[in-house]
Amino acid sequence: MIEWTSSALFGILLCIFTYEIGLWINKKAKTPLANPLIISVILVIAILQIFGIPLDNFQKGGDFINMFLAPATAALALSVYSQWELLKKNWIPVVGGALVGSAVSLGSIYGMSKLFGLDDVITASLLPKSVTTPIAMELSTEAGGIAPLTVAAVMISGIGGAMFMPFLIKLFRLDNPVAQGVASGTASHAIGTSKALQLGETQGAMSGISIGVAGILTVVLHLIFFS
Amino acid sequence: MKIMLQIGIIFGVCWIGEGISMLLPFPFPSSVIAMIILFLLLLTKALKVDHIRLKAEFLQKNMAFFFIPASVGIMENFDLLKENVVPLVTIAIVSTVLTFGAAGMTVKYLMRLQEKLRGGKEHDRVDV
Repeated sequence: MIEWTSSALFGILLCIFTYEIGLWINKKAKTPLANPLIISVILVIAILQIFGIPLDNFQKGGDFINMFLAPATAALALSVYSQWELLKKNWIPVVGGALVGSAVSLGSIYGMSKLFGLDDVITASLLPKSVTTPIAMELSTEAGGIAPLTVAAVMISGIGGAMFMPFLIKLFRLDNPVAQGVASGTASHAIGTSKALQLGETQGAMSGISIGVAGILTVVLHLIFFS
Repeated sequence: MKIMLQIGIIFGVCWIGEGISMLLPFPFPSSVIAMIILFLLLLTKALKVDHIRLKAEFLQKNMAFFFIPASVGIMENFDLLKENVVPLVTIAIVSTVLTFGAAGMTVKYLMRLQEKLRGGKEHDRVDV
């Protein structure tokens, strides 16, 4: 009967239903810790383990879903475009902030990885972790990193940034909504943006733009310094 | 516009991105090239928001869903994760704090500078 799970439909269905459960728990719990993706991944792994289903069987459906990662990244263009007027007015601070933030991210990760004596594979997996998952994954695999490890680091950055955001805003005295938004999007991508939206419309919009801007800048910096 | 055509447009842009990525002499994620192309198409009005809205919104609203299979792959790297959990979490959190501060402060000071310069210009005009 285990063959039954080798249909691509099995993996797709498992993802859909565990994700729906994740969304439901997230709605009830109202904390960034109850992240739908994390809940879904834990449920999928638990189900595969309990029933002894091979990962390869699950990944037949997984490959189908993976195919949507690139289109989902490309679709970020729409959120940058829909805030074009706001971006045009503030493009120097936004691009400047995202650039300095991305550089500090890459630099601090590289420095700390050396400090901890991590090998090249793990360092490559961590380096792009501040940007949105699909871009981070692609940068990681291109540099010889392990994609799932990158996703884990991306999640920690997103959830950590969202949880500590009110504290970080006070710590760095960011009284300006544009500064709050750019910091959120550059450091904590989409998870940060959902928190930034709660702070205000400008913060949310700026955070959304910064996901795309910091993504591109990180790719360029990564290319210059790490390949 | 019909959803099928919207899917076609977005997938088409992604496929072109893959082609350009192959031609480039350095590694550059094809999805980011596709994002830039799509943005330029929107900006030059070659493409209207309505041409891709439904599909793009579907992709964005369910973004996290598409990462599930890739994340489940962590099963195979569980030992690696366990061995490195302390540096991994430390690095992720510390660098997030530093990145947040660096990006936010840069924006804050650049905006102040911009205001000063703009204010200065207006002041000049008044003087003239």
